[in-house]
Amino acid sequence: MNYLVLYHLAALILFGLGLYGINCRKSLVGMLISVELMLNGAGLALVASSRLTPAADELGQLGTLLVMGLAAAEATLVLAIILIVYRRFGTTEIAEISTLKG
Amino acid sequence: MDQLSMIHPAYGLYLVLIIAGGAVAVLARSLVRALSGLIVTLFGVAGMYLLMAAPFIAFMQILIYVGAVTVLIFFAIMLTRTSEGESGSEGGFIGRGILGIWAAVFSTLVLAGVVIRHMPQAIPLKPETTLERLGEFLTGPFALSFELISVVLFAAMAGAVFLGFERRKAK
Repeated sequence: MNYLVLYHLAALILFGLGLYGINCRKSLVGMLISVELMLNGAGLALVASSRLTPAADELGQLGTLLVMGLAAAEATLVLAIILIVYRRFGTTEIAEISTLKG
Repeated sequence: MDQLSMIHPAYGLYLVLIIAGGAVAVLARSLVRALSGLIVTLFGVAGMYLLMAAPFIAFMQILIYVGAVTVLIFFAIMLTRTSEGESGSEGGFIGRGILGIWAAVFSTLVLAGVVIRHMPQAIPLKPETTLERLGEFLTGPFALSFELISVVLFAAMAGAVFLGFERRKAK
């Protein structure tokens, strides 16, 4: 058990928590928080893989930086979508915002 | 192995921060509390970046995630005012919680098994990459990705503004 594996296990814990949250949260904002958890796990695994193996160091660090940029863009868009949904349905509970019958 | 024992106390502290914050983030009934848990987790991950001698990424983590993304999520909570009505992960049908736990635990255990079974060889921590080197890499081999992420960010911001305007016009 070297410490590369330890960092990967920490990233896996983040992934599992985010997956549980995205399955069980009942509002769109809660799901957004869970997605951020999973993205953090991805970044942690990337940096650990590039820092503790012979791979190029810059690849992992800048890849994580790009993941952070994508997370910021995603959070902005999801905020706009949540506002629209709240405007139209009056709630962000995911059970309420279905318009299909049955 | 000596490095492993040397790195342990701080690693344990950050791991506790990550697990506790993450548990609050997915389990708390109030969304504001969940957001606080997310912030604790983000600081734990930033500490792990510091442990791996990647201070630039650690500070970017604090700047972008804690500074920007968290504020955006807080705006989402504030503007939709679901914090008092949010029923969290409990209530409703119980089967969904069980299925969620099963899905998360199963996939995490499978991936952990793969990681532990094919344990990669780690080398001792490399010397810290300088900021100049990162900048050269970003404008050299990574130039296309750099430009593309700018375009993606611009498209996302423009889309958000467009959606906001659309909502006001329809009213």
